Amino acid sequence: MLRFDRRLLLNIDWVLIGAVLVVALIGLANIYSSTHLYKETGAPLYLKELTYYLFGAAVLLLIVSIDYRVLLTLNYPLYVVMILLLLFALAFGRNVSGAQRWINLGFFRLQPSEPAKLILVITLASYYYRKETGKGFTLLDLAVPALLTGLPFILIAKQPDLGTGLLLGFIFISMTLFVKLRWATLATLLFGGLSVIPIAWKFFLKPYQRQRVETFLNPENDPLGTGYHIIQSKIAVGSGLIFGKGYMKGTQGQLDFLPERHTDFAFSVWAEEWGFMGSALLVICYFFMILWGLNIAISARDKFGVLLAFGVVSLIFWQAFINLAMVMGLLPVVGVPLPLISYGGSSLLTNLAGLGLLMNIRMRRYMGSS
Amino acid sequence: MSPRPLAKINKIDPAELKMLKKRIDIAMAVIIFFAALLLTRLWYLQIYHGDDFAKLSEINRIRIQQIAAPRGNILDRTGQPIITNRPRFNVTWSREDAPNPDAVIKDLAKILHEDISVLLDRIRAATENPRYMPTRLKEDIDWETLVTIENKHLSLPGVRIEVVPSRDYLYGDFASHLVGYLAEISPAELTEKRYAKYQSGDQVGKQGVEKIFEEYLKGEKGRNYLEVDVHGFEQRQMQLQEPFPGNDLHLTLDIELQRAAEEAMGDKAGAVVVMEVNTGNLLVMCSTPPLHLQEFVGGISTTAWNKLLNDPLNPLLDKTIQGQYPPGSTFKIVTALAAISEGVITPDATYFCGGSLNFGNRKYGCWKKGGHGTVDFHRALVESCDVYFYSVGMRLGVDNIAKYANSLGLGKKTGIELEHEKGGMIPSTAWKQQRYKEKWQEGETLSVAIGQGYVLTTPLQLCRMTAAVVNGGTLYRPQMVHSVTAPDGRTLKTFSPISDGKILGSAHSLALIQDALVGVVNSASGTAKVVALPDVLIGGKTGTAQVVRLSQNEGLSGNNIPYKYRDHAWFTSFAPAEKPEIAVTVLVEHGQHGGSAAGPVARAVYKRYFELKNGKQGGAADSAPSLPKDEKEE
Repeated sequence: MLRFDRRLLLNIDWVLIGAVLVVALIGLANIYSSTHLYKETGAPLYLKELTYYLFGAAVLLLIVSIDYRVLLTLNYPLYVVMILLLLFALAFGRNVSGAQRWINLGFFRLQPSEPAKLILVITLASYYYRKETGKGFTLLDLAVPALLTGLPFILIAKQPDLGTGLLLGFIFISMTLFVKLRWATLATLLFGGLSVIPIAWKFFLKPYQRQRVETFLNPENDPLGTGYHIIQSKIAVGSGLIFGKGYMKGTQGQLDFLPERHTDFAFSVWAEEWGFMGSALLVICYFFMILWGLNIAISARDKFGVLLAFGVVSLIFWQAFINLAMVMGLLPVVGVPLPLISYGGSSLLTNLAGLGLLMNIRMRRYMGSS
Repeated sequence: MSPRPLAKINKIDPAELKMLKKRIDIAMAVIIFFAALLLTRLWYLQIYHGDDFAKLSEINRIRIQQIAAPRGNILDRTGQPIITNRPRFNVTWSREDAPNPDAVIKDLAKILHEDISVLLDRIRAATENPRYMPTRLKEDIDWETLVTIENKHLSLPGVRIEVVPSRDYLYGDFASHLVGYLAEISPAELTEKRYAKYQSGDQVGKQGVEKIFEEYLKGEKGRNYLEVDVHGFEQRQMQLQEPFPGNDLHLTLDIELQRAAEEAMGDKAGAVVVMEVNTGNLLVMCSTPPLHLQEFVGGISTTAWNKLLNDPLNPLLDKTIQGQYPPGSTFKIVTALAAISEGVITPDATYFCGGSLNFGNRKYGCWKKGGHGTVDFHRALVESCDVYFYSVGMRLGVDNIAKYANSLGLGKKTGIELEHEKGGMIPSTAWKQQRYKEKWQEGETLSVAIGQGYVLTTPLQLCRMTAAVVNGGTLYRPQMVHSVTAPDGRTLKTFSPISDGKILGSAHSLALIQDALVGVVNSASGTAKVVALPDVLIGGKTGTAQVVRLSQNEGLSGNNIPYKYRDHAWFTSFAPAEKPEIAVTVLVEHGQHGGSAAGPVARAVYKRYFELKNGKQGGAADSAPSLPKDEKEE
């Protein structure tokens, strides 16, 4: 067992804990509002989510208590486990409305693509930490991390879950841009990336995925089909006005107009019932948490900590931004949950584990250097 | 003391730290930009355009209502419907625009002939639901009430008629165990993979054909796109996707024959199975007493369910496939086939029956106390002489008997596509060793030879066995569905006969047995004379299965024995003898004697079968009875 250093307790990150608690309470209250009318069999969803929260808090405590540098030895074993879980989900996973995303563990349905996001962050941080930069990464140096990202990306895109797949791509791009690249590498990547988009559009996207993007660009063309989600979500958010319709009084949410109202569109319910004041508060809370994460990154005791914290921040940021932009009609509908707010055990545990890593890094910023 | 570092910690060198700081600053700028973008968008949606969206949400709009699909029909082999759907009319009420709800409910109570408190109770029970959701006040109203409500609808604001398809059982409890019933899907079923697309409240097949062929029968739900106001009340219909009806299931059953069998069984408990000998198709699957399917529509009440559970006649048991009974003397067909085929006896060899056989220190009696005298193979089957088969069985040994019984499909499930089939029991020395860790006793072979002891069979097994004995030796898989057709008439699937292989036994021995079975029905000393029909030659074998051997009942006869201790009566048979078409097996629980209790039921089935057949061929019976074969040969 590791001996526990009492100095760690002095460095507990109360700011981050406070921000997480505020967002968590908002999330739970919101799930209660959006699901209390559901006729579910079994436990009500908000109680399930609360259970996930308690379980997630335990996971977070465990992560905080172990020095994050063990990840430098655990990163590849974790990566292999992740790939195996993704393969397992593809082969034997539970099929829910056409997607093989879940592994049934009996007491819990694990969606392995959620922890995969965090494991990718750990993998990339370890890789970039170990690789000496010198004058900056060449295109060839990037081949390994690109492969490490590409493999889970393909497995997740096959489920099919394009949203989560793209998220892996965003994490890869963010973390790669953060380390030192040669200018030539950067230029090649930019040019290559731009030229790939039309090809991907034509050959890689499935028809329903193309349709989602087209619908996003022109939702009124198909008000009953795929445009329905965007229109209803915009109406929900917009009709909240300044102070909202009141807790549990949102008509869009309560009357079934909003699809996926406790998962992907949870923010719409919040915005409808709490108006601009409530929505802005949540957005600010969120982005404060994210900026605080960057602060943790730059104060870390070593470069691995910097890279890891930056990766976790990019994970939370991209999920939050994509989800919020989607429910406000700024981006097409891709299934990306809002961390800590959307219902779902796998997503919640992953994000709490990520926040645990941030606290871990924060607590150890003065350690080992003296 | 600090913990030992897990890996060497490289302090970041100042130059690199400076670079990383710069990048973090850029990242912060990017993130703040995105946050500002989102806040601006919120302002744009909620404040700048807020009133527009608020209006949209006021007149908003589309609600999707699911419409149950009519389930596929279940038809008999001639295409006559057995179970169809009929619309069920329910009365619903919603508060939406009623100025004086109390008066409306009062009027409605009068029309429905219900006490007003009943209706108010229902409304009170539904207060948890959203206001727009109509409350069901009465289910399944009759036509007259429906017309009255429709005529008065202007004075009954908020009252609506909801149309739901429901099962219509055209022939009541016809083949009730086989067709099964529907009920609301249970929470446990909702978690099963096969019901992934179902929602709570949906109807689903719970038993029998309704359950097994659910996938074909269920159809596709329709959707009704309704425009609703902010409180959820319907404004108008925007778009309607009609539900797509389920596929029709054509059973192999024959309505007329099944009804003949059910009528002949009357209130006796038991089973009738009729099979086409050359296909394995089942024409009759009757288990009595029947289930009252109408009781299950809309969910069976606990009282009714408990009554079913405690009924001594056990209506919940499908006796055709789940009832396991000693086959009694019908099993002599197996012993006879084994004995002749194995060369243990010749048809002419005789045994003397003096009314009993002593073996070990026990006396094994023949059913005929006075004895049969000298009997050969033919007479032994015709008169069902127990002593003859004791002797033959002893020479065969139990394992030889078991070998033939197994090849005739006994002692294992027939493989019919119904749930919870029982396999029966055929004992052998190996089985006893394994089950009881005991050596087989020779005396037990004697009991097995006449179908008693450990032997258990289901009526379906015996019918299939009889068919195989008379069709030239092919064991067919019993089937009850002929084909599935789409609503537009296209055939989606047909079920062709499935052979489960050839039975053991020479053609010669099969012919000898068939002859003897004809004698059972048609000769003066046969045990099933009551079954004989004037113009068709029937062959068969009676059987009496002992339930218990109680000395206190010894000497008592017939109705003086308590019902539950009376013997089961069997009759298994085929016709016409010249070119067998169908096999009929009847079991009457506690019916005492095969010939007198089970025989007449089989006779009624044959009578109807040949009436129908000859009727279709244009009237007059064309199969004039030839001289019974047994008389020619003897």
